[in-house]
Amino acid sequence: MAAYLGRRLLAVLPVMVVVLTVVFLLIHLIPGDPVSVMLGPDATPDQIEATRRSLGLDRPLPEQLLQFYGRVLRGDLGRSYFLDRPVTVALLERAEPTLVLTLSALLVAIVIGVPSGVVAAARRGSLWDRGLMLGALLGVCIPGFWLSLNFIYLFAVRLGWLPAAGYTSVFADPLAALRYMVLPAVSLGFNQSALIARISRSCMLEALQQDYVRTAQAKGVAWPVVVGVHAFRNALVPVIAVIGVTMAILIGGAVVTEIVFNIPGLGRLIVSAIMRRDYPVVQGVVLVTAAAYVLINLVVDAVYAFVDPRIRYD
Amino acid sequence: MWAEILLTLAREVEMVRRISVRAAVAAALAVAVMAGAAAAAETPKRGGILRVGNLGEPPALDAHWTTASITETLTNHIYEGLYSLDRDNRPIPMLAESHSVSRDGLTYTFKLRQGIKFHNGKEMTSEDVVASLARWGKQSVYGRTLFDKVADLRARDTYTVELKLKEKVAIVLVSLAVPNNFAAIYPKEIAEKFPPQTKITEYVGTGPYRLAEWKPDQYIRMVRFDDYKPRNEPPNGYGGGKTAYLDEIRWIPVPDVATRVAQVETGELEFADDLNLDAYDRLKRNPGARPIIGKPYYWLVAVLNKKDGLMQDQKLRQAWQAAIDIEPIMRNVAGGKAEFYRMDSSLAFAEVPAWHTSLPGLPWNAHDRDKARRLLREAGYKGEPVRFMTTQEYKWMYDFALLTKQQLEDVGFVIDLQVMDWSTLVQRRNNPKAYDAFTTGMGNFFDPTHHVYLTCVWPGFTCDEDILKLQDELARELDPKKRFALWVRQTRQFYEKVPVIRYGDLFGLRAVLNTVKGFNEKTERVRFYNVWLER
Repeated sequence: MAAYLGRRLLAVLPVMVVVLTVVFLLIHLIPGDPVSVMLGPDATPDQIEATRRSLGLDRPLPEQLLQFYGRVLRGDLGRSYFLDRPVTVALLERAEPTLVLTLSALLVAIVIGVPSGVVAAARRGSLWDRGLMLGALLGVCIPGFWLSLNFIYLFAVRLGWLPAAGYTSVFADPLAALRYMVLPAVSLGFNQSALIARISRSCMLEALQQDYVRTAQAKGVAWPVVVGVHAFRNALVPVIAVIGVTMAILIGGAVVTEIVFNIPGLGRLIVSAIMRRDYPVVQGVVLVTAAAYVLINLVVDAVYAFVDPRIRYD
Repeated sequence: MWAEILLTLAREVEMVRRISVRAAVAAALAVAVMAGAAAAAETPKRGGILRVGNLGEPPALDAHWTTASITETLTNHIYEGLYSLDRDNRPIPMLAESHSVSRDGLTYTFKLRQGIKFHNGKEMTSEDVVASLARWGKQSVYGRTLFDKVADLRARDTYTVELKLKEKVAIVLVSLAVPNNFAAIYPKEIAEKFPPQTKITEYVGTGPYRLAEWKPDQYIRMVRFDDYKPRNEPPNGYGGGKTAYLDEIRWIPVPDVATRVAQVETGELEFADDLNLDAYDRLKRNPGARPIIGKPYYWLVAVLNKKDGLMQDQKLRQAWQAAIDIEPIMRNVAGGKAEFYRMDSSLAFAEVPAWHTSLPGLPWNAHDRDKARRLLREAGYKGEPVRFMTTQEYKWMYDFALLTKQQLEDVGFVIDLQVMDWSTLVQRRNNPKAYDAFTTGMGNFFDPTHHVYLTCVWPGFTCDEDILKLQDELARELDPKKRFALWVRQTRQFYEKVPVIRYGDLFGLRAVLNTVKGFNEKTERVRFYNVWLER
């Protein structure tokens, strides 16, 4: 197991080099220029050129790429053009809101998705099954921004129960943080729960058709125990994979949710950085997201072995 | 019996009279009490946090460095210049006490106000002013224009600054007064520490609020500067006496416009700027908040590339001008609401009365399709695609570009509408080979010489000798009446040569809670000095 994990960790390096190179080239080759945006609509071309020179943006692209590699090797992701701070600092500032949103939404998604899938499978073809899968279908179909805006209108504007938008650190004021996080977590979690519910249902249906389930039933084990203990654990591996992928996606930034609910996380950061062509920030966020993807997949693979003892990596 | 009746009547009349008198007295008292209450309600109060929802982050808090409007709004609370603009957008002193001009018109001597403190506690002196203006003159759009004509700038004594010109120009005071990309006075140490092309990251000014904290994408906190020394005059436009009643202004970037509206409705924001016009009716119905129509906002403009490509041909530019029917375009862009647009051909907004023109007979909004077709024929136009760049990031730009395309194609133009993000557009427009026209908006210009689209350096590249000659004369002429006559000539010339296509004026939408008092609705960009909160 340890050797396997070591090999996987080593394989991260070439992935990172490829990701960094592709992102660097993509963001530099698309049209648009950070200096034109920063200097405002009335800036003249010669002013723009002078500032481009002062930022080193006039140098050949291969030279800029080599400098970028050099900085990354030293642990320096560069300095944001707009935010006047190192990219690492900007990323650390955005990490907490994104992690809190990710974990809250994931919790909501699991709490809704897994039981829905299990119940739908256990009562296959019933009204429960159809109702829950209709809910899952809605979760996939309803656009996140539409759901978020309607939640704001209903729960903040009309009922006044919760704040419309904003963010408070859980370390500063946990209660206020919870109030701010309810609407984004539920709207994002509901969207994400749909996939988890459908995968849970499929896996449970497959498990429920296995011989050991029939044997357990023949031995007179109660149906809820058959479903909850015998079938559920065996159906869990693909569900964990989906949960892992969902978490990786959310860490990369739940862009729409963060923008609508004004949460200063990584998703909002990368969108504004792309719009402004803040190259160092875009590169930094993509690097972190890629690393998160790889690491979460690694953790998920490790968890498989604990959930299903038949899985061995030696 | 008649006597009894008369007596009864007399008593009733007397009673009615007494009741009337009492009612009148009571009414008068009530009015007096209400007036007193109203007066009490309008008495400014210190304290409170004003939360302002705006579109996004500023690229810098360096007023010299960028023309971005969000930087203008924010920095005008932290810094001040020697001059500011009054309610008619004319220059009035701010950090300057007074000025004098030598007989030959070449030397301006500025007396500075004494006892003005920077936020770091240091007193402002002429050395700070000289260092700041020198930096501004190298980087700012307005500063560079002025400093092309400056021979020397020096401190004569602690509170006196002397500016010597190479030649007489009319734009000294107005250039020092414009609020955008403005001549903010920084401490000498900061002005000299940061070269003009490097934005400052130490924010020390003399303004009524000082920067307390900047957390990008979360908030910018400005707190009252207790040692601020206001001018003695009453508030006047952007200038006059400024009082910081609020403990704090918290600028919160809220990128989603629907969320900004919702946060005003829930009371999470006291003020929201840059709203979509469709929120107007909803805000009007809200008992706790009200909409504000921001005038002026932009006049819509299609900038034509005169350096390269099809639009070098004046007849094609005139054909575009003749073809368009501006009223339906403006009505559509304004969401069908007449409150949000104004049909005006003047190159200066009506809010700048000194330069606003009302000239009959201009070929503006002629909507003469036959003339447009004739001009196309005369130009030898054979259906070559006109590359017209726009963006969906600003909905009004996309809307008016789309409507323009339809109208132009009705008369025979072939329009290649190229939709891109704003960042790409502002880069491409600097390359004359890349386009024929692009959309943008023109904000307020406070002097004819500041109209960027009448220069050879700004995208679109108006290098027409006659236009530039008149701009040059406008810069040199000192007599206001003669300057206005020149401006009228320039306006007529503009509609003949058509360097850009002037559409109508579009207005903006803001929302404010009713607890916010003292807000000046007449300025183009928001200012929160002299504003207080009624709790």
